[in-house]
Amino acid sequence: MYLELQELTKNYGELTAVDNLNLGIESGELVCIVGPSGSGKSTTLRMVGGFILPTMGQVYLENKDITRFPPHLRPTSTVFQNYALFPHLNVMENVIYGLKRRKIKDKEACRHGNEILETVGLQRYAGQSVLDLSGGEQQRVALARALVTNPKVLLLDEPLSNLDAKLRVRMRREIKDIQTNFNIATLYVTHDQEEALSIADRIVVMNHGKVEQIGRPAEVYHHPGTAFVADFVGRNNFLNLPDGRRISIRPENIRLSLDDGHITGRVMQKQFMGPYTTYFIECGQGIIQVDQFFDATIEIPLGSMVSLQWPQAAEINIGI
Amino acid sequence: MRETPFWHNSKRSVANKTAGVSFKDTPFQELSEKLIYILLGSSLLLFILWPILLVLKESLHGNSGLSLGCYYQLFSQNRRLISDSFLLAVASSALSVTLGLVMALYLTYSHWKGKLFIYAVLLLSMISPPFIAALSYVMLFGRRGFITYKLLHLSINPYGWHGVLIMQVLGFASIAALLIMGVLSSRDQSLEQASMDLGATPLQTLLRVILPVAKPGIIVAFLLVFVQVLADFGTPIIIGGNFSVLASEAYLQVIGLYDLPKASAMSTLLLIPSLLMFLIYRRMMNRSHFSSPSVGSSSNELMRLSPFTNLFLGVLTLSFVGFELLKYLTIFWGAFARTWGVNFSFTLNHIVDTLGAGKMDSFWRSLEYSLIAAIICSFMGMLLSYYLERKKYWGHSFFDFVATLPFMIPGPFLGIAYLLAFHGPPIDMTGTALIVICNCMFRQIPVSTRAGAAVLTQISPDIELSAKDLGARDLRVFFDIILPQLKPAFLVSFINTFTATMTTVGAIIFLISPGSKLATVELFEFVKIGKIGEAAVFANLIILATLIINLMFSFIIMKRKLRNQYLGGEGVYVSGIARAN
Repeated sequence: MYLELQELTKNYGELTAVDNLNLGIESGELVCIVGPSGSGKSTTLRMVGGFILPTMGQVYLENKDITRFPPHLRPTSTVFQNYALFPHLNVMENVIYGLKRRKIKDKEACRHGNEILETVGLQRYAGQSVLDLSGGEQQRVALARALVTNPKVLLLDEPLSNLDAKLRVRMRREIKDIQTNFNIATLYVTHDQEEALSIADRIVVMNHGKVEQIGRPAEVYHHPGTAFVADFVGRNNFLNLPDGRRISIRPENIRLSLDDGHITGRVMQKQFMGPYTTYFIECGQGIIQVDQFFDATIEIPLGSMVSLQWPQAAEINIGI
Repeated sequence: MRETPFWHNSKRSVANKTAGVSFKDTPFQELSEKLIYILLGSSLLLFILWPILLVLKESLHGNSGLSLGCYYQLFSQNRRLISDSFLLAVASSALSVTLGLVMALYLTYSHWKGKLFIYAVLLLSMISPPFIAALSYVMLFGRRGFITYKLLHLSINPYGWHGVLIMQVLGFASIAALLIMGVLSSRDQSLEQASMDLGATPLQTLLRVILPVAKPGIIVAFLLVFVQVLADFGTPIIIGGNFSVLASEAYLQVIGLYDLPKASAMSTLLLIPSLLMFLIYRRMMNRSHFSSPSVGSSSNELMRLSPFTNLFLGVLTLSFVGFELLKYLTIFWGAFARTWGVNFSFTLNHIVDTLGAGKMDSFWRSLEYSLIAAIICSFMGMLLSYYLERKKYWGHSFFDFVATLPFMIPGPFLGIAYLLAFHGPPIDMTGTALIVICNCMFRQIPVSTRAGAAVLTQISPDIELSAKDLGARDLRVFFDIILPQLKPAFLVSFINTFTATMTTVGAIIFLISPGSKLATVELFEFVKIGKIGEAAVFANLIILATLIINLMFSFIIMKRKLRNQYLGGEGVYVSGIARAN
């Protein structure tokens, strides 16, 4: 493994923020850590970046123990949630700050700075104050600043959470593009599971400081390892079957019909979502969500009794 | 689109530089950083804590070892003095805060454009030497006062407690007004909109919502004014007549009788209520609800008070402004009147005399000391705020406490403290410039540190982490990243220390040698011996100098603030707090 976290643990007094976390990241791989707030994902990232010392455990980079290296000597670069741009420096000065700390001459530093700004499409803003940039542009400066020093690991802490929805989707693609081009091992923290599914090579789902599941996005989505993962990643329904099993089933895997099915219920509400309509059905054990793809021939009115059907393969057993 | 990405051809050179960083650098780096901390900490101990402890020790000085003799004597012989001091302080601060509140409300809610002028007058009175109010009082209402004697042909005795009370109320109302304005400006406007929306009149909103919510801020203003009134010895000496308070008595004990134990005991009596007030102040500040004004509230329409309320507030405010203008006019005129009270004809003699006969030395010396103190104090304050607010090394909360001590210590107390600490072995700085500059500097350290800390709390810690992440070491982070962003705090601290040193008389009057007087001390002595012409010239000089420097630096701050919107009202608030000292 290129970057390896071994039995990483962080205690704050009684509270265990991160509990015995093991994770390996291949060179060039993008791994997303996803989880609700307080799940320990940011703490993990900051331990890799050197901003928080772990209570126990090690961080290895290329088989070298870097657990206790201070941040300024670590070959990792972080893009912070609020970008942490230096407000008194302009775009170029921000970008080449790390190069100058490595005693690289101004001229050469500026050449690198220009190249990286071109990569992120901000070359013409080089002399501007970072305070005059929009959120998306600031984000790109932060990314350029982190990448210009040629770090071995890129750390992204909720990088898109301050952007609006449309921009978020676009920046997601840009980050992935740049990450692929640089072929840099990346640890990406987000609370947005959709973002994680779309961008990651592998996903780490965390809850209460513990790893719930590690896997490829499709694996985590279709085969959640725990009830928490099933609930947290994507939308899901939980059902107790007559045979005593408890299963989860995705809304898109259920079909509504007026014939007999596994379970019957009443349509309480429906939401038009464009390509599909989500029905909310009361079936005696809570509200079940069902996504029906648009079909002009079927229009189910509110209050109708319907039955729910699904293929056996779509059932996920989540214990008793 | 990216045929020859630079990271391929340049990877080697950058990577080599990265590898060149040696891990052995770290311990040395930390050492120099800790050394600075130790230096800062020990200077706080030497120049703040030690002198203060010496006063306490001196006050327990007896014929044989420690004794409570001084206090016993004080309480048995000077009971009247003690009760007068506290009664006056309570009355003066209550009245000046009431007047201040009225003006703050008027300035906050009035729609009249002229309120900017009122604000300017308030600021002007903040940067004037404290006892010029008393000087103008003597000039207008004294035995040969322009109004009482010349216009009304009365010969009344204006000296006594009532004169002191009036002058203190007028003198401290501006601070109170600015402090309360600071609190009101950070109010959440949606509260008053909600109140009006629910059917309350503007007056009801004012009384039921705004004032209760602003209460902690008003109490804080009261406490800060109280501490200063208690320490004010200039006003009672000039217009108290036979009426005296602890502060003025302590001054006379040192200057006239050189009875240091008794002066120390009196000062300690002044310190106790100040300390109490400060503890309450800290509690109130922690509970204060004025953390963040709601976003975008500035575009809201200002609440309109009823015409009657507006008139009431306006008349009181404008009377105060009228008095202030009269004060400055009187002092300005005083510099040109041949013999105040006898012959009001125009003359340039006072000005020629003052500018000629070597008296300007003290003025230039004041300027020089003020500039030196302001630069060193601001730099130290910024470093200190960084260490105390961010680094939090061992003992930081103790040093934070020591660095805040001068904030609550009456000026004369610190003067006597330096007299005891640095007049003789092991450290003898008698009559030097150093002792005066140190005193002025360390008195303002709390304000500088606080100004720095206020800005620091607005800088995301991630920015520091980011600099470290990019390869900067700790001290580098301070100089590269923190200090440039602390510039507004540095400027606020600079103006404050400069103004305070230019106008202070409380502490340094005990420390200067007769050969190297400062402008305020010279002015104070002119007033005491009744040389009104010379006093007026000096007062004008001091006001002019502080005004010019303040205008210059305020201009710089304003310009910066327009650029860095995110600093918001913090600067105004910080300087409000700063001025309160």
